[in-house]
Parts: sequence; C-alpha cells; structure tokens
Amino acid sequence: MKFGNLLIAGITTGSIYAMFAVCVSVWYRVSNILNLAVGDFAMVGALGVDNLYRVKGLPLPVAIITTLVVVAVFAYLYDQVVLRIAQDGRRPIEGIVITFFFTFALSFFIDGVAKVLFGTDVHAAPTLWSGPALTLGSLNFERAGLLVLACAVIIGGAFWLYIRFTLGGKALEASGENSLGARIVGIDTRQYRRLIFIGTAVIAALFGIVESPITGFTYLSGATISLTGFLAAAYGGFRKPGRALVAGLFIGVLEAMLGGYVSAEYGDTVLYAILAAAILAWPRALGFESAVSG
Amino acid sequence: MTQSSAAGTAPEGTAGPRPGAGVALAVTGLSVAYGNVVAVHDATFAVAEGDACAITGPNGNGKSSILMGVTGMVRRRGEVTIFGTPARNGDVKWAARHGLTLVPERRQLYPELPVADNIILGCYTWTRSIGKARRSDAYGRAVDLFPELKPHLKQLAGTLSGGQQQMVAIARGLAANPKILAVDEPCLGLAEAVAKRVYDVLAQIHAAGTTLIIVEEAPRRALTLCNRRVEVRNGMAGAA
Repeated sequence: MKFGNLLIAGITTGSIYAMFAVCVSVWYRVSNILNLAVGDFAMVGALGVDNLYRVKGLPLPVAIITTLVVVAVFAYLYDQVVLRIAQDGRRPIEGIVITFFFTFALSFFIDGVAKVLFGTDVHAAPTLWSGPALTLGSLNFERAGLLVLACAVIIGGAFWLYIRFTLGGKALEASGENSLGARIVGIDTRQYRRLIFIGTAVIAALFGIVESPITGFTYLSGATISLTGFLAAAYGGFRKPGRALVAGLFIGVLEAMLGGYVSAEYGDTVLYAILAAAILAWPRALGFESAVSG
Repeated sequence: MTQSSAAGTAPEGTAGPRPGAGVALAVTGLSVAYGNVVAVHDATFAVAEGDACAITGPNGNGKSSILMGVTGMVRRRGEVTIFGTPARNGDVKWAARHGLTLVPERRQLYPELPVADNIILGCYTWTRSIGKARRSDAYGRAVDLFPELKPHLKQLAGTLSGGQQQMVAIARGLAANPKILAVDEPCLGLAEAVAKRVYDVLAQIHAAGTTLIIVEEAPRRALTLCNRRVEVRNGMAGAA
C-alpha cells in the first residue's frame, strides 16, 4: 500500500502547511501585512520547549506552557510597539514596506536571538505521544503525525466554528473585507489585528512543538516553514483561508507523491516547478492576480 | 413635513432645532482636516429629536466630512453632543452606543459576506452575542423593512444590485438600533425608481420616530422628506 502510506504522509505534511497558510492569510485579511515570521514562532516553540525541558530540566507541561506564554507576550509587545507605530501612528507607513519588511525584519531578529539561545544544532521538542507506529492493515500511522493531524483538525475546526457561528467571528471577517465598513459598526480592527497576530503566533509555536519530532528544527528552520505557508496562502490571494487550507494540503500530498514515485532527491524541485507552472498557466483562477493587485 | 423657511440661505445657527423639541445632535465649531487639507471649517448646527435634516451642497464641499467627524470616523476639532452628552472624539462605537449610526457613502458593505451577515453586524454596536442579535427587535425590524431583500439573505452582498446594496447598508444601520440615522448620499448612482424606493424607506424610518440626517448633493429630493436643511459651502456649514 505504497500509495496509501504516501497519502497519509502527504496529508500530515499538508496539514502543517495548511495551518501555516491559514495563519498567514487570516492575519493578512485583518492587517494587510504578510507574516513572514510565522515559521520562526514555530521554531521558537520547538526549540524553546526542547531547551527548557532538556537543558533547564523543567517538567514538560511547564516547559510547553512557559514557551507559549513567552511567544504570546512577545507577539503582544511587537504589536504594541512596532505595528502600532507603523500602522496606527499619525503618519502610517503603507505599501510594500509594511506588507513585507516589518515581519521580514522580525524573522531575522527572532533567528538571531534563537541562535544565541539555542545554538546551531538540530533539536526537537520531546515526542508528546511516544510508541511504535500504529498500523491498520498495511497502512502505517506515525503517532507524531496523528498528533499533528489532530491539532490541525481541532484548531481548524474551532476557528471555523468561531467564524461561522459567532458575531465576533463575523466581525473578524468584516475587518478583512472592508476595514472602513467594519469601523462603522464599531469593530475595533486594531484589536482584531492584535488578537489574530498573538493567536497565530501561539498556534504556530504549538505546531512547532508537535511537528518537530518528525522533522527536527534548527534556528533557521522558520524561514522554510514560512515560505511554504506563504506559498499556499498565495493560492487565494492571501485573503482566503479556506483556499489556503486546500492549497496547503494539496502541496503536502503532491510533495509526498513526487518524493515516492518520481524522485526522493529531486521531488521538491519538481514540486516547485509544477507550482510555478500552475501559477503561470492560471494566475487569475489561482488567486494570484488579487495577490499582486491587493 | 414642512421645509424649513431658512433652507438654502440659512446663516449659522438658524438650522437649529424646533422650539420645544429636545436636541438630538448639537455641533459647535466642528473642523475636520485630512493632513493639511481642511475639509470642514467651524461648522455649527443642531438637529432636534424627530427632525429630518438635510445637509446639502456641491460635491467636495465637506458634507460627508461633517458626518465623518460627527460620527467619530475621523478625528475632529470642536464639540459634538448627542442627546446632551459630549461625544468622544474619534470613537465610532461610543457614538453608535449613544444612538448615532452612520450609513456611509458608497455603502461600505462586506462584499464576500452574505446579506444576512452584513445586516446582523450592525448589532455589533450593542452586543457580542449572535443569538441575542438574531432575536432582537432591531434586527427583525431591519429585515422586515426590506421584503425585497428576504430572498437574497444568503446571497453574497457583493453580487447584489446597487439599489439592493443600499438597502442592505440602511438595514445594517437600523440593526444598530439608532435614535439618529445619518445617511450619506443614499441615492448615489441609483436609477430614479430605486432612489424613490430608498426615500420611501427613509420616510418610514423617520415616521417610526428615528431622527434622520441625510447628506445629498441635490437638495430637491432630500427636501421632499426633510424639514430642516444645513447648507455647506467650502467646508462652512450653515452659511449659504
């Protein structure tokens, strides 16, 4: 059952891409800023827990909670200091600078601090659900993979319920659709920008923690994760979390299939060639036109 | 409704409230600027409870900026009181909670949300509970006032015609349960028959006791409904 196992592996990786893509696009909708540091929060989650648990000797739940709290406080301070000055000041900064460079700089900053704190070696948070792979017929399910999938389904499902069935969720959507129209009904778009930034940072850190036993992390791993999330989010003009989710899953499955059937070595190269060709062939249908024109 | 005798030539202050009626909105020395560009300069007027007040004047003279400043959408100088309480500067939510709601120019809907969501978001000014919002009189009234929208409640707002979108914008304003509804250019780009329907609805809203402020470039249509008029010229309100 090579196909089945590749599909499971693909869906697991895809769900990670999908979550990061959703994080990127949800926040872009609210803030018009692309969060290029989302992967770095994942890296901080993984290496932070590893450091507190393995090096400092804290109990695992304490290490996880401490890391998530530190990420949340850091995200809050970044929003209050940098983004507030950039977007809410008397002379708001607009265009490409705010869209890209504020979080690009943040990404470099986090990487630099992580290099000092965690070193340059590959580490991972401890496995939260250890044991041999579960089998169902000829299909193998890695426990860490199942945990990633469970997190994706729970967090994704909770977010969907929030959007679909609460006024706060609809207000969040309205902020993304039309910030002027949102302000008219008293929606505090800045508050949503802050909440989503902190929320996505914590979710990214949590995914780093559950994902790292599968892949291993260094202080530079964040950029790769951000890039894949960013790419999947682009397949919806950065504004459609639903499309970003599907694109993330699709990229994960395609990557696994290419790795299994075409070439383990050149799988990624072929994957990006296919993605680039698809963008060139159907820019409008895939949402890239709106990504460029905003 | 009777047209104000001072309409068209009202000097500052004459477009004030009717004697005996409570003051719904009082604006004193209002100025609004965008950077170095002054859009409204030292505007002073008052609107009585139950009035329908037209703010008229040529385009680009600051009519919309008056509403933006009064409702708190932009920062202002000068004093605004809503039912006697000084309004917080730049605080839209405060104004809405104290009864003043804006139906903005060009509607400012959420095009990729369904019509029902667009309307119910008007309730955000007074509740965070979607259940409370759905069961509220304000939401029920807002939907009932537009029977033509009922078949489209699940449709995305961006796919409606201009007239239907204007009705959604007014319904969203009503869902906020306003005592004063400020409507900015409600007939912009609409066909005459649709514009008439919009004004019929505004008349119904006014007849139900809501104070109206309508910004219109063309005073003729506004004055079929309004009993007061504030004329805006070069950012100066009141003086013709």
